[in-house]
Parts: sequence; structure tokens; C-alpha cells
Amino acid sequence: MSSDTTNSRGKQVGLIALVVGIVGIVIALFGFKQGWDSGEVRPMMSWLIALGFWLSIAIGMLFLVQIWYVFHARWPTIIRRQCEHFMAAFPYLLVLFLPLLAIPFFHENPGLLWKWMDGHNELPGHGTVAEDPLYAWKSPFLNIPFFTIRAIGIFVVFIGVATLLRKWSFDTDTTGNINNTHNARRLSSLGLFLTAIAMTLGSIDWFKSLEYHWFSTMYGVWFFSACIRAALASIIILTVILACKGYLKGILKQAHRYDIACMMLAFTVFWAYISFSQYFLIYSANIPEETFWYNIREKNFDGALNSWWWVSMGLIFGHFLTPFLLLLWYKTKVVVWRTVGVSIWILAFHLLDLYWNIIPGKLVAPDHAPGYIVRQFSISIYDLAALIGIGGICIFAMCRSMKKAEPIPVRDPNILTSINYTE
Amino acid sequence: MTEKYGIIASFPDTPSFFHAAEKVRDAGYKKWDTYSSFPVHGMPEAQGQARSKVPIFTFLGGITGFTVGLVMVWWMNAYDYPLIVRGQPFFSPVFPFPIMYELTILLAAFGTLGGMFITNLLPQHYSPLFNSEQFLEVSGDRLVIAIEARDAQYDVVATRQFLEEIGGTDIEEVSA
Repeated sequence: MSSDTTNSRGKQVGLIALVVGIVGIVIALFGFKQGWDSGEVRPMMSWLIALGFWLSIAIGMLFLVQIWYVFHARWPTIIRRQCEHFMAAFPYLLVLFLPLLAIPFFHENPGLLWKWMDGHNELPGHGTVAEDPLYAWKSPFLNIPFFTIRAIGIFVVFIGVATLLRKWSFDTDTTGNINNTHNARRLSSLGLFLTAIAMTLGSIDWFKSLEYHWFSTMYGVWFFSACIRAALASIIILTVILACKGYLKGILKQAHRYDIACMMLAFTVFWAYISFSQYFLIYSANIPEETFWYNIREKNFDGALNSWWWVSMGLIFGHFLTPFLLLLWYKTKVVVWRTVGVSIWILAFHLLDLYWNIIPGKLVAPDHAPGYIVRQFSISIYDLAALIGIGGICIFAMCRSMKKAEPIPVRDPNILTSINYTE
Repeated sequence: MTEKYGIIASFPDTPSFFHAAEKVRDAGYKKWDTYSSFPVHGMPEAQGQARSKVPIFTFLGGITGFTVGLVMVWWMNAYDYPLIVRGQPFFSPVFPFPIMYELTILLAAFGTLGGMFITNLLPQHYSPLFNSEQFLEVSGDRLVIAIEARDAQYDVVATRQFLEEIGGTDIEEVSA
């Protein structure tokens, strides 16, 4: 029976992913420890970027599954199961978030990563955080106890919704109980709100508050669009691999890939729309509290273009224009290697987008010279280690989940429509 | 009435209609079409049609809109009547962007509509096929394949025989 061989192969992949993941995490944690001892924040940012990358894929899938339930979408039923498997990564991601949460509680400078967490931290030209009127205004939201409660709440939502959806979907495989589908649909209509709020708070807390002076009401929507893009690209790569390896052979059709690729095109435009709108509103209002965030992503204090200018241009042309033009072509959406190529491209630039959002910061100039210096773009070995490490754990979680259920939801009421789906 | 438009044949049900279309395609006819009152899934492939050319019109419309928006804002704000707004430069690719993408969308939509008309050879108020009484029943329940006389392979006897072989009934020559 072929399912036995595919099962053992899945087990092997899971084991390899676990070993690779642990090796990556050990290396990344070594860098984390060095940063912890020396007060250097960059290795913590490596961890945050990698965590954000894998978390965004899982959150995107959580959104898509719930949207499909709410809209009674029939065609993605076979894809939904693969998302449900990947959503098994949420509890592991919570554990992997703990090193970052340890900084405010156990480091001598609680504000090592999120500088507002320590009132003694110096700001360029502003005195300290504690003396900063803007921090005083934002402190009812930005304080360590509330931050911790929010972080726990965010993961409770992600893990809770994902666990229930997975449980009901897997239960349908054996019992064929239609109530599972009804329950999932009911939960999704509430869960979409909860997930949206949790994701918005997460993006504000973990990424945006790195430069807590800044204001932007579009940040949550930006992260939403980034999550969905990352999830759609991952779905293409994942399902094509599964189709090649036998799990979805003959089940995943051109029509499924075509529709996911159409959504990739739509969300490429959506990401550009949101990212540009955020820039455009701040550009038009021209208020220093807001524009500095874009200024440091373009120029140094002396006005010279810095490394982030090139990254910004890379995002405009690489994260929007290239995938947009490529995905306009019908062939890109149906020829497997082209769709997979665009998906890998999008994931790579999604990672760059996270770099661009997380790393730049205004630092106090040496010897308290006027102005500030900007933390420049860099790629460290710990970025790679954290990315591979956390990714390995996520893939291990997925492979582990795959053993628990059928490759497709065999007794789902919509399974036949999904299998026979045509363009 | 010596000139002929072509030959039409009717088919009793959708599967035989569909497979007959495949056979016409495989026989190498180029100037022919299928007529039914409802869409038949997969018929474009069965007829051997290439993908629609409409996206090209959409793309050209979009590019035109983008360029028009860019040039219009530049001409109005930076060239014809230079205008200082909020101390921003006379021209920059940032602030005309809403105009640029709105016009991209608008002209892409016009391109799509126009492209659909052009590739479908519309508007077309008259077709010689209306000379046939039975062809008019296509808007009811008749399924018809018509092979036109201007096809290189067209031959009154051979084509009629061919349509009979692939299961066509009520075969009729239609005058132009």
C-alpha cells in the first residue's frame, strides 16, 4: 500500500526537519546569548524576523481557512487540509516567542529590543524614554505587564481557533459528522474578528513598537496583506511538493493552482495598495512624528542615501512590480515551475519586507553628537540560523500533524466539488 | 442565390455535439463555429481555439492609462501652470500615483470592453446563418455546427458527408 510508504517518508522528513530545526535554533540562541551578554540587539532582531516570517505564514493560513469556511468555499477543501496541518505550528511558535519575552523580565536592560520597555534608555536628541512626553501618552498601552498579557492573549486566540478548527476537521474524517462543518463555520465568523484583532495587536506590539514614536493606523492591514501573501505562496510550494511526492498526486489540479495564483495576484496588488497608502498619507500630512519612519528608511541624518534606500527600491520593484507583471500572464498561473518560481520570489521579498520593517532604527550618535545614526541593513549568520531553525520546527509540527489525519478531508461535504474542480 | 455561406448540421445532445466539435477540429477545418444557447464547458479547447486575445487589449489600455495619468499631472502641475502645494516639488512620482492607477484601471476596463468587441467581431447585426429556419432554433434547444464555404478544405459534397459521419442531422446548405 502506497500510503504506508508515503507515511514513513513523511516521518523521515519530519525527523530531518526536527534535527535541522534544533541545530538552527541552537546556533541562533548562541547568537541570542552573545547579544544578551554584550547588549547587542541585532541577534534578537534575527530571531524576531525569523519568528515573524513563519508566524505570518501560519496566520495567513488561519485567515484563509476561516474565510473559506465563512464563504462556504468548496474548491479549496483539499487545500484547506494542508493549511490545517501547518497550523499545528502555533503552539511551537509560542514556545519560540518566549526568548523574546524573557528580555523585559530577565535582562538588566528590559528595553534592549523594545526600547520603550526601559525608561533609562536614551533617545537621540530627546533625553530618555521616561522624559519623553510621547511615551507618557502611550504608556497606558505600552507597558510591560499589558504587553505580556496581550502576547499571551494573541497566542491564545491563534492556538485556540487553530486547535478547534483542526479538531473538527480531523473528526469529520472518521465520523462524517456534519455538525463539525457547522461548528467550524460558526467559529470562523467570530474567529475572523478575533484573529484580525490578535494579528493587528501582534504587529503593533512586536514590529511597530520597535520605533514607538511612530503613528500609523494602516500597520495592521499591512501585516494582514503580508501574511496572506506569505500563506498563498507557501500553499503553492507546499501543495506542489505534496503532489510530486504522491500525497496529492492527481488530486491537486491546474484549476486549484490557478485560483491560488489569482489570489496571489490580487494580494500582490493589495499589499502594494496598503503599503503605498501608508506612505502616501504620511507623505501628504508631512508631520515629523510620522515622516521620520520613512526618512530613516531612505537617508542618514546628513541626507545621504543609506542602505535602506536600496531595500525600499527593491521592495517596490521586487515585491510589487515583478510579481505583479509576471502574475498577469496566464501561463505564470498554470505552468507549475513558473508558479512555484513566483511563490519563492514572493516569500524571499516578504522576508526582505520584514527586515525593512524591523531593523531600521534611530540610534544615539557616538559622543552624543547632534542628530542620530541609522541602524543599517545587514544579513547575519544568525538570521539564517533562526530562519532555518524556526522553519524546521514548523515543518516538523506539520509532518507530525500529517500522521494524524487523511491527506485530504475525505468525508467533508464539499470534498467532491473540490476534487472535480475545473476552471 | 448561387453563393453559399456554408453547411450547418445539428446534433441531438451535448456530448455528441462536443465530440463532433473535436472531430471537426481534428479534420483540420479552420473557418467554422459551434452554436448553442448555453455555454458548454471545455468547448474552446474542443474547437482548438487559442486563448483569448482580450488580455492584450486590457494590458495596453492599462499602460496607456498609467502614462496618461503621469503626463497629465506633470503637464498641469509642473509645466503648464507650476503649482506649489505644501512645499512639495512641482513633480514627483509619488503624489500623482492615485491619478495614475485610477486611470490605469479605467482605461484597462475600456481596453477589456473594446477588446471583447473587436475580438468577437461585434457589433454584428446580421449573419447569413439567419437565412436558415432551423438555425433560428439555436436560441431554443438546437445545437449547431457550421462550416463556412471560405474554409480552404470546404467541399460541398465532402463536407456534407463528413458532417453526416460525425453524427450530424438536418444538414443544410445555407445561402450567403
